[in-house]
Amino acid sequence: MRRPEHRPEVGAPARWRFGEPDRLWLDNGLQVLVCHRPGQHVASVCLSVDIPLNAEPEQFEGVATIAQRCLDEGTAAHPGPSFAEALEDIGASLDGSVGYSASQLFLDVPMPRLGEALALLAEAVRTPELEAVEIERHCELRLAEIDHTLASSTRSAQLAFRKACLPKRFRASRMAAGSPESVAAITAAAVRRFHAQQYRPDATTLIITGDLGSGVLAAVEDAFADWSVPGDTSQEHQAPNRRRPHRWLIDRPGAVQADIRLGVFGIDRTDPRWADAQVAAHVVGGAFLSRLNRVLREERGFTYGVHLVNQPMRSGGLLAVQGSFRTEVVAEAVTLAAKLIDVRTNPITEAEVAEAVSYHLGSAPLRYSTAQGVTQHLAALVAAGLTAQFIDAHNLALAQVTATSATDALTELLPPDRLTLVAVGDAGALRGPLTDAGWPATEHRL
Amino acid sequence: MPADVANYPIHSQLLSNGMRVLVSPDKSVPIVAVNLWYDVGSRDERAGEHGWAHLFEHLMFSGSAHVASGEHLQLLQSLGGSVNATTWFDRTNYFDTVPVGALDLALWLEADRLGTLADHLSTEAVDTQRDVVKEEKRQRYDNVPYGDVMPALVALVFGADHPYGHTTIGSMADLDAATPASAADFFRTHYRPDNAVLTLVGDINVRDGFRRAERAFGHLPGRNRRRRPAPKTLPPLTGLPRHTLSGKVPAEVSYLAWRLPARDTASFDAADLALAVLGAGQTSRLHQRLVKERRLVASTAAQALPLIGGNSIGLLQLRALPLRAVSDGIEATLEQVAKLAAEGPTEAELARAKAQFTREWLTDLSRFDARADLISTYAMLHDDPARVNRRLDEASQITADQVQAATAELLAPEARAQLDYHVEDDNATS
Repeated sequence: MRRPEHRPEVGAPARWRFGEPDRLWLDNGLQVLVCHRPGQHVASVCLSVDIPLNAEPEQFEGVATIAQRCLDEGTAAHPGPSFAEALEDIGASLDGSVGYSASQLFLDVPMPRLGEALALLAEAVRTPELEAVEIERHCELRLAEIDHTLASSTRSAQLAFRKACLPKRFRASRMAAGSPESVAAITAAAVRRFHAQQYRPDATTLIITGDLGSGVLAAVEDAFADWSVPGDTSQEHQAPNRRRPHRWLIDRPGAVQADIRLGVFGIDRTDPRWADAQVAAHVVGGAFLSRLNRVLREERGFTYGVHLVNQPMRSGGLLAVQGSFRTEVVAEAVTLAAKLIDVRTNPITEAEVAEAVSYHLGSAPLRYSTAQGVTQHLAALVAAGLTAQFIDAHNLALAQVTATSATDALTELLPPDRLTLVAVGDAGALRGPLTDAGWPATEHRL
Repeated sequence: MPADVANYPIHSQLLSNGMRVLVSPDKSVPIVAVNLWYDVGSRDERAGEHGWAHLFEHLMFSGSAHVASGEHLQLLQSLGGSVNATTWFDRTNYFDTVPVGALDLALWLEADRLGTLADHLSTEAVDTQRDVVKEEKRQRYDNVPYGDVMPALVALVFGADHPYGHTTIGSMADLDAATPASAADFFRTHYRPDNAVLTLVGDINVRDGFRRAERAFGHLPGRNRRRRPAPKTLPPLTGLPRHTLSGKVPAEVSYLAWRLPARDTASFDAADLALAVLGAGQTSRLHQRLVKERRLVASTAAQALPLIGGNSIGLLQLRALPLRAVSDGIEATLEQVAKLAAEGPTEAELARAKAQFTREWLTDLSRFDARADLISTYAMLHDDPARVNRRLDEASQITADQVQAATAELLAPEARAQLDYHVEDDNATS
């Protein structure tokens, strides 16, 4: 019999390792990652094409996005809407995302229809119609989408912070899907040229996860083995560096809250301090009772939630406090946040490190428990130019993190006098209090 | 897809205090999803209490007899667990998805707050969480374009006095009125073993699961389960109720809404499929006709919002292109609805909508936490947890005639409510 006040012991965590994918290449250079996950009845597929967005002609920025969005608007074998019908008929869904280093298509389909779905996926990337009328329509929709992005406080903050942290010469300082000017300039010829140059088997990785049978490789070969594109890929990925700190106010008259970003241009997964930075970010702003959330949410009630987020790119990354605070407390919240992320005077403790490491290791089985979870995480690694081995290597690196190494890493990464601040809110109401609190900011238009 | 693919084992027991426990073993990953449903949602809030169910969900994390404020989340998170809670019209649910070794701790934490929270509410906790919830309201509703749509829509469809006539976030004034005493009273009324369903999905044995649940919750006293009066089903709308909102939004949007039957009835499912044929996905009629061919609007969307208390909501949404009005789109939409009511869906359209439903359903079931939540859903709202394994069959049996009839009877143009969102002029003073 256990008394109600007696807190149960916690059993040792089960041994868990990431079940690595089978990795092979077709003769045309296409890389295939196959992850067997019994019990996962919906297969999750990612087709990732290594396309650095700096490969876009500058006057046509956004062309990668428009090209991707037109892929499912008809193919040689399934013209016009008949392509989407063929996909939806077998219960498949197809989504896309264009990042600064890869253009990725995500396909989910019930296991029994996987072979058919792969054949359709191959059609979309190999023989899309790319009709002028569809290209024009998607440009029009993209222009509408920009209005919606700029109307969103959170997305504006994200955009402004990126712009404030990265020098202009780097593509990643601007919107991945293009600006109003560049999208308006995109032509059908530009889209077709971009597709012909960039969609190539030797730049592509196909990730397939699910309760897979033995026929999956044959299905991949049927769909992709005879895909060949002349020439080679030569565009290098950019390696951005940091811009000098900026403090920007983005005006949203009458907004009841301000979205805040406070941080720096940071590091990517290949940096030797990555595990330290992940642990430190969890302690300071990842856990529910992180230093930031404990004070700014649970003690002060200033926000629904505040985080310190490590957002890696292929090279470098963004490291920032992210939160939305009611207008009246913004200056105080920013000052408190700056104090809380400065770990020099209040170093990270061994107990905090132990909790953070235990969180990262303990949550891995859940993170990778579904076909979609596996495919999405692998896709992020592939886009970053890494392999699945990163997962176990990172877990080993986490176990080596100490209070000193985590404290040192964050101290190095977040120098208090080099922080960039972005506040998206009612500029009239924010300017005075921010200046008085030692955060004078200039108004900036996105 | 053969229906037996998604045939998950589901075992049920009733504890002596009335708590219903479901166990569904799955050894594929060394984790367990603990999912606890309380039969209380925004529909149980009376006038003057709007937002309380959600505010009090926050208080569930503010400490109980043997647990400090925030400690529940902190403890399980530091073991790699994922912990959260949500409030909806029909329920409040709590999730703890944890490594198997932490199952007892998760159950104990849930039992401690269920058993003792009402006696451990401080003014400070209520004040802080009230501020946090107000920030949530500002962040998710007040500071977001179109953020005020849902409250206006449900009021339009049900009337403000109906249990579904307000949304979970509530009003600032009602949140201000909450006190530790009213919170304690609310908890004693709704948070009881006999008003709860506990589902465990994961790497456990059936008997072991029941034993652990009994050990954690068995000592808590139960009462007779409160019986809800049978909900009234409202007839379709008449008189075209309309409402206009305006704000600093990038484009005009219109929402057409209908009263549907209660969730997961055959006629609800038929209306759901009708909405899918009309507006879900790239092949849907509205996307093909309005977005692609005629380029009248930027996007269309369709959704059935399932509710148990007599009626659900059916929704079509049209977003205008920049600087364009949405009105032509509405006319064209209503033509499409009338056409579907007159002719029904083609066999291909119906098969497609079902194939999409199948994938979505199997995807939901692929996650331990989502599977546990669905089992709790069917246990609490339908008194039939095993229905999780029959839903694909049920949907597959809906015929084209049923879809046509549902469109004609439930989605008639004259039975809609309409909410129009206008773009506020930048120079206008408000």
